[in-house]
Amino acid sequence: MAPPAHSSRSPSPSQPSGKGEVSDLKSQLRQLAGSRAPGVDDSKRDLFKKVISYMTIGIDVSSLFGEMVMCSATSDVVLKKMCYLYVGNYAKVNPDLALLTINFLQRDCKDEDPMIRGLALRSLCSLRVPILVEYLVGPLASGLKDSNSYVRMVAVIGVLKLYHISSVTCMDADFPAILKHLMLNDRDTQVVANCLSTLQEIWTAEASNSGEASRERDALLSKPLIYYLLNRIKEFSEWAQCLILELVAKYVPSDTNEIFDIMNLLEDRLQHANGAVVLATIKVFLQLTLSMTDVHQQVYERIKAPLLTLVSSGSPEQSYAVLGHLHLLVMRAPMLFSSDYKHFYCQYNEPFYVKKLKLEMLTAVANESNTYEIVTELCEYAANVDIPIARESIRAVGKIALQQYDVNAIVDRLLQFLEMEKDYVTAETLVLVKDLLRKYPQWSHDCIAVVGNISSKNVQEPKAKAALIWMLGEYSQDMQDAPYILESLAENWDDEHSPEVRLHLLTALMKCFFKRSPETRKALGIALAAGVADFHQDVHDRALFYYRLLRYNISIAERVVNPPKQAVSVFADPQSSEIKDRIFDEFNSLSVLYQKPSYMFTDKEHRGPFEFSDELGNLSTEANVSAQKVEADDKDLLLSISEKGDSGFPANGSAYNAPSYDSSKSLSASSTSSDLVILETGVLHQASPSLAIDDLLGLGLSTTPAPAPAPPLSLNPKAVLDPGTFQQKWRQLPISLSLELPVSPQGVAALTTPQALIMHMQGNSIHCIATGGQSPNFKFFFFAQKSEELSKFLVECIINTSSSKAQLKIKADDQNSTQAFSVLFESALSKFGML
Amino acid sequence: MPVAASAIYFLNLRGDVLINRLYRDDVGGNMVDAFRMHIMQTKELGTCPVRQIGGCSFLYMRISNVYIVIVVSSNANVACAFKFVVEAVALFKSYFGGAFDEDAIRNNFVLIYELLDEIMDYGYPQNLSPEILKLYITQEGVRSPFSSKPSERAVPNATLQVTGAVGWRREGLVYKKNEVFLDIVESVNLLMSSKGNALRSDVTGKILMKCFLSGMPDLKLGLNDKIGLEKEAQLKSRPTKSGKTIELDDVTFHQCVNLTRFNSEKTVSFVPPDGEFELMKYRITEGVNLPFRVLPTIKELGRTRMEVNVVVKSTFGAKMFALGVVIKVPVPKQTAKANFQVTSGRAKYNASLDCLVWKIRKFPGQTEATMSAEVELISTMAEKMASTKPPIQMEFQVPMFTASGLRVRFLKVWEKTGYNTVEWVRYITKAGSYEIRC
Repeated sequence: MAPPAHSSRSPSPSQPSGKGEVSDLKSQLRQLAGSRAPGVDDSKRDLFKKVISYMTIGIDVSSLFGEMVMCSATSDVVLKKMCYLYVGNYAKVNPDLALLTINFLQRDCKDEDPMIRGLALRSLCSLRVPILVEYLVGPLASGLKDSNSYVRMVAVIGVLKLYHISSVTCMDADFPAILKHLMLNDRDTQVVANCLSTLQEIWTAEASNSGEASRERDALLSKPLIYYLLNRIKEFSEWAQCLILELVAKYVPSDTNEIFDIMNLLEDRLQHANGAVVLATIKVFLQLTLSMTDVHQQVYERIKAPLLTLVSSGSPEQSYAVLGHLHLLVMRAPMLFSSDYKHFYCQYNEPFYVKKLKLEMLTAVANESNTYEIVTELCEYAANVDIPIARESIRAVGKIALQQYDVNAIVDRLLQFLEMEKDYVTAETLVLVKDLLRKYPQWSHDCIAVVGNISSKNVQEPKAKAALIWMLGEYSQDMQDAPYILESLAENWDDEHSPEVRLHLLTALMKCFFKRSPETRKALGIALAAGVADFHQDVHDRALFYYRLLRYNISIAERVVNPPKQAVSVFADPQSSEIKDRIFDEFNSLSVLYQKPSYMFTDKEHRGPFEFSDELGNLSTEANVSAQKVEADDKDLLLSISEKGDSGFPANGSAYNAPSYDSSKSLSASSTSSDLVILETGVLHQASPSLAIDDLLGLGLSTTPAPAPAPPLSLNPKAVLDPGTFQQKWRQLPISLSLELPVSPQGVAALTTPQALIMHMQGNSIHCIATGGQSPNFKFFFFAQKSEELSKFLVECIINTSSSKAQLKIKADDQNSTQAFSVLFESALSKFGML
Repeated sequence: MPVAASAIYFLNLRGDVLINRLYRDDVGGNMVDAFRMHIMQTKELGTCPVRQIGGCSFLYMRISNVYIVIVVSSNANVACAFKFVVEAVALFKSYFGGAFDEDAIRNNFVLIYELLDEIMDYGYPQNLSPEILKLYITQEGVRSPFSSKPSERAVPNATLQVTGAVGWRREGLVYKKNEVFLDIVESVNLLMSSKGNALRSDVTGKILMKCFLSGMPDLKLGLNDKIGLEKEAQLKSRPTKSGKTIELDDVTFHQCVNLTRFNSEKTVSFVPPDGEFELMKYRITEGVNLPFRVLPTIKELGRTRMEVNVVVKSTFGAKMFALGVVIKVPVPKQTAKANFQVTSGRAKYNASLDCLVWKIRKFPGQTEATMSAEVELISTMAEKMASTKPPIQMEFQVPMFTASGLRVRFLKVWEKTGYNTVEWVRYITKAGSYEIRC
């Protein structure tokens, strides 16, 4: 019941008037401090309440500290509690004043009322003032031995608080050993549970420093303890049960009998009213049976019903938390859920985040028997008013098409989407049709007929426009208007804001040119001229590359741009199976909802570089730029390539060398389209040996003859690797060599900025792909490529300037040459003065 | 690590902190600002209840006009955290006596601080059981049971919990009149295609109990569910009685139910907590009795006129009736006005919902009602009317009816003193998400 009497008297929080009120309170508190008149406690209570409500709404009442402490000399529990609350709030900012409270808190820790003992001990441990830790040890030690379980429960968590303020004090007092004893012997389950969480935290934190701690941590998973907890599990509170189940999930039973015993014991936990307990139990079942395929499948069947119930009950937030886990399981074993697809139908009022997960699950469980129903349902959503969901649904239909053999009906549906004449539907569908054609080229006739009717003016989204242009280029022989549509796009080059679209336009025109050259020649000329003059680096480079390729040899150009393609059988999975397994190991945690393993978002050490690499991933479409973007110096260098045109740019390893550059300059200077129109006839077989452009488009055809064979290991000075590939390789390859090297003082001095080292290494044909960190820790990712083959080396190099050490991790495609490469790498470092 | 919450915040809709408790120092001070900046002031608010900003994760839910935000820095157990919030709110409600909103929080600062200190210590959930908390909460005059002073007032509401919290029974309860109330509350969900096929339908039900019983009674509940009946027939070695049996897809029980006995004998037996609690929850997907059939026909007559015709049939017994029936038929945004003809109830056009809302206070079983409406639209330049509309939605309550067909066969109370008890059983079915596409 709300205390109406008090609330009406206390000032309304919406009118805080600050100082005047506070000093008013101060004098009132002073008056009451010494008074022993009857009823004084009641007036004190009102005053304290006022102080606390001020504190809550953010008025600084720390100036009352002295008076509050004076007034706290009382036997009234209500007053004491409010006073503890006040002290706990302000002690941290007023350590000196906090000292004043130690006295009365310590006295209260010896009170005859166990509740006061517990409260005082909790407040004492919550002061969080490092200089006062010495006063904590005594009360904590007696608190752990207290006859009352409430006090012991508070004291156990108190030990954890002490540990976080001063781990040394905590370890010196040998508290962990006491807790271990309590955990096995205390009759109160909450005390046991608190001991468990405290010890888990302490040993996990200590494990990196001492072997003993890590042994202790492992001892928490020992058979006697696990059995002890499991046998009493029903006596624990639901929250403590979650804690224990989490621990059991990590336990490795010795044989299958043990596994079945544990599962039988926990079977009824699946019917617990608390969803968190059910989920924790599910985790135990899943983890225990990982190695037993048949049983693991049975577990899936067993947990299906409880999971579906949890999803459909509780608040949207709760069901979201469960749905995330269901999603994970469905993705792991879609077959087992294929008959439950109706549970994943979306309700109209469900929030977006729920619908999105459901759509993904619908996509995953689609198989031959249910595809028709699922696709029909998805088509309902595609016509939904909610645009993001409509988009997701269309994508889902597309994904199902890509994973099915019988796509006949689905293609029809997709083509019907195009007839809906809604911009976003058309846009999404175009992207999908493009992917479909890459996998099932046999459908091109049906699709092209419909796609050909779409006016490019109605397509605005870059991705969709790019897809449309790709189809126009790829199937230009089947589409009457293709060259003319492309031509009008090329003429409006400047209106096209997305570099992605401009890149696709260039390529599409090239493809079209090889198929219908008389009709395309003019358009290609316009596009190449505009492309070379483009301010975007990638567009500029690609245009230049095409131009030179055409000049070099038309038939080679055709082989580069328009090689015979094989249908894509499987599209790459964005998430590696290693990551998926890690997420599965962290079942029942945030990882599942974020869909990434915990080290990516909790571990500070990892978070840095990973955020960084994410950024690289996003930029991978502009790989050229992003790699350079890292350092300002290089950017200048880039500018000098495209604008100033000075001949020398040492140690850059750029694909262009001076003579060829000159030609490009003249081109961009006199970029008139008439020049280019005649290129078709003029440039045949005009071989220019200086052109050594690597496989820029990644089409898998290298036009560059291998440079002269070199000594045992020579590196390609022009190696190219985009960040995405780097990341992928880094994940896939094992570490073939890792070593730690001392760094000389000169090296430290030279490493004022990461750029200095990067420039130097580039001179040695070792390229930097990413850097990070701040003094004293620098982190570099390098790569290099063998000059005569595609085999690459990846290096992670962490240099700590304060400890003067460099840590190297080398991964290689070709393990045999790792040693040779590491010698090269070290010598490069030592030339820089590092070693 | 189940929760290990670093902090818990209660914010109002503007983002002002109503009350907060920092349990750990491992998150920075300006967490609320981060929450306001990145979640409240952006469109993100509705997108996902779990969000990561910087090194922290925010788990939040909105309850009436309050956001409750849990901040964690570790890889926390989300299900546990949300369950904790839900339980905590239920606990607060029992202390406030009903509503949980901004005003209630403002009026109960001190109490909430006290509760927050007891239910969570250093980020670990402690005890949320009201029976135990009563011993430690001083506000509203409940004294420490250990102190010599007599307690002045009892907490009137703390036992009336409608939660699944562990609440065990105190010894020595005495009631003049021993009564048990049992409610079966079902909510029926339906998704009907425009062609009249039920795409999916299910029932989520719960059994709520209110016990005012003296001493330590032992209760046994018998339902007409399939497993229970078969087991019984097997035990007594006589054939199952004819009549409808219900197959429960999944059941969960309150802590007090002896699960071992349920698994072996398939009977629900328990020593109930005092007061109100949720005995069990269940879910059914097969053989759902849909209480209403809805047959919509919507015709577009040119660009500015529409004809909407909806027939609703009740399928439950003629002696029963539904209450508070509301049928919402979505219409285009550019609707100007609508003229109605209804056989019962009242209908009007609600512009803020873009719906025709048809309300029928009392709807008898085995009858049918019709609404026909002529809708006039403002002519617009939009080349095409939206090709699809949201589904028709329906709300209702049908007392004495269960969509699952579940019935209580017996409820037996044993107590060693052998007193007589009065048992009350009620049934009600409500609409969950009852959607008919048109």
